[in-house]
Amino acid sequence: MTLRPRSVRTRLTLWHAGVLAAVVCAFSGAIFFFVRVQLYRDLDAQLGHDLATVERTYREDPTDLREAESRAGIGLFEVVGDGAVLYRTDAWAQAGFEHAARDHREAAPFSWSTPGGKPYRLQTLASPAPGIRISVAKDESAVRRTLRILGLILALGIPCAVALAIAGGHFLAGRVLAPVGAMAERARRITVESLDARLPVEDPGDEFGRLAGVFNETLARLQDSFERLRRFTADASHELRTPLTAIRSVGEVALQGSLDPPAYREVIGSMLEEVERLTRLVESLLTLTRADSGRLRPAREIVDLGALAGSAAEHLRVLAEEKEQVLSVDAGAVVRAECDPAMVRRGIVNLVDNAIRYTPAGGAIRLTVRVLASGEAAVEVSDNGPGIAPVHQARIFERFYRVDSDRSKSSGGTGLGLAIARSVVAANGGRIELESAEGRGSLFRVVLPAG
Amino acid sequence: MRILVVEDESKVAKALSDGLGAERYEVRVASTGEEGFFLVNHESFDLVLLDLMLPGRGGLEVLATLRKRGLQTPVLVLTAKDTVEDRVQGLDLGADDYLVKPFAFPELLARIRALLRRGRLDQVLRLHHDDLEVDLVTRKVTRAAQPLELTAKEFEILEYLLRHAGRVVSREMLARDVWQVTARATPLDNVIDVTIARLRRKVDDPFSNKLIHTVRGVGFVLGQESR
Repeated sequence: MTLRPRSVRTRLTLWHAGVLAAVVCAFSGAIFFFVRVQLYRDLDAQLGHDLATVERTYREDPTDLREAESRAGIGLFEVVGDGAVLYRTDAWAQAGFEHAARDHREAAPFSWSTPGGKPYRLQTLASPAPGIRISVAKDESAVRRTLRILGLILALGIPCAVALAIAGGHFLAGRVLAPVGAMAERARRITVESLDARLPVEDPGDEFGRLAGVFNETLARLQDSFERLRRFTADASHELRTPLTAIRSVGEVALQGSLDPPAYREVIGSMLEEVERLTRLVESLLTLTRADSGRLRPAREIVDLGALAGSAAEHLRVLAEEKEQVLSVDAGAVVRAECDPAMVRRGIVNLVDNAIRYTPAGGAIRLTVRVLASGEAAVEVSDNGPGIAPVHQARIFERFYRVDSDRSKSSGGTGLGLAIARSVVAANGGRIELESAEGRGSLFRVVLPAG
Repeated sequence: MRILVVEDESKVAKALSDGLGAERYEVRVASTGEEGFFLVNHESFDLVLLDLMLPGRGGLEVLATLRKRGLQTPVLVLTAKDTVEDRVQGLDLGADDYLVKPFAFPELLARIRALLRRGRLDQVLRLHHDDLEVDLVTRKVTRAAQPLELTAKEFEILEYLLRHAGRVVSREMLARDVWQVTARATPLDNVIDVTIARLRRKVDDPFSNKLIHTVRGVGFVLGQESR
């Protein structure tokens, strides 16, 4: 399990501080190493210089060594020849270098501390002349002290820098994340009643602006579907209440007086008609509810769409004939689609019924079956009726939506036909497109996956 | 003919009992599954009308138990659930037919007659009523010796009305038996009404004695409604 702080601000701060601490540590380490190398290089250069001076002096005149000590200021050196000390400064003897020089034979400088803890840098030159060994030493304390102080500064500075980084990171993260908190607060206050509220978008280009934009779009869709639900509920209750009211008042009025049997039969028949209307309405609503909840499962098969359209047209032909309309089916080559034939037939029947209903007597309704350029199969139901105004086109598939409430009342539809058509076609993986212009008829296109 | 009605809704039970009584069936009513089970085991019935939504022992359970005991009586299931799964389950458990609530009473009567008639094959070649003659083989229709030209659907409706002569035929029955459509929708009702109107124009308009009558709110009847 990973330990994960819950707040984004804390996480950002920790990341920030962690990265900064790593950078500061690496940088400090590098500085310390560089300074150390540089100091020792300087020291070693002086050491080498001293060694060369001693060696030259010895080579020119071995008796001048004392003078070299006093004149050149080289206080710590010894010259040994064949195991015997040829010259040794006093300070050398006091410091007890003989052990160190004897133990280290290599030519490179090395550090050595006296038993008293005083640090020195030593270098030995073996055999400048046969049997001769020259050793030089220099006090290293200054270098050591400088490095210790530098280390102390860095060791104290790093925690301070990290602490500053944490504080700064926390502050910055807080500033950056402040809009998120504000958005969350605004979003929390948006309820079903205030779905029209929107989040403020300060800069639509930045990340938070885009987030707010997406959230606002979601809100708009939510508001839209809530609005449709509200309208649907109001419409449905109106549609259900109307027959109920009729049944009730017809029954109550009939009970007020005493009627003869034929009159009672009339009353009961009238009530039964309303019951019939209610039953149909409930069945239509159930179909839509099933489609909504995904329980309308199509039994898909490969269907000859031309035959299906033809059968739907034949089914309703009597209605067109009654209105003296011409109902024709234009199916050229065989068009196959993959769908549930009963469901799609119901959708087409509803579209044709709609066309017959709203096309004036003597009009023409045409069913065209064809393959679209996209490769999908399509049935087009076109009429030369009054057409549908653009304002109604988007909403014509909504439940109970009516272009003209008066006209629909007289034409006797439930207002659910197109909604059901769209639902059953959608359940089969298809869609219904509408092309219409006022005064120039309508074309409903059922598009289905090709079989 | 004795019919057992197992139905807990007392209003529906009374309507069924009265309606079936008027059709001269002898009716017993049980309001729970247990009571129905008891009655079936102690009396003999020609048909059982079984509601599926019963308090206590459900209709499906009663049905399954009865069939397990070897009961042969036809069972007509009444249900408010109309999903395919519910129907299949009911028929699997031994129901002979089902009817979805709310149903039209004439349709219930037709189903009961069909179940009681089952097994008896009545091959009729000609149907007639008054001066109307229908030849089912040649599909020729005459009235008062005058030939009538009917479309295929009109012929089927007329045949259906003649087979149920004197009894009300509902739109549901026509939709299911003539159009073979189970889902009721507005377009179909209009189609039925228009087709009946056209049939009347041919069969009744030229004659003074009208044969096809509308029973408001219920359906259609050929000849005088028997009651």
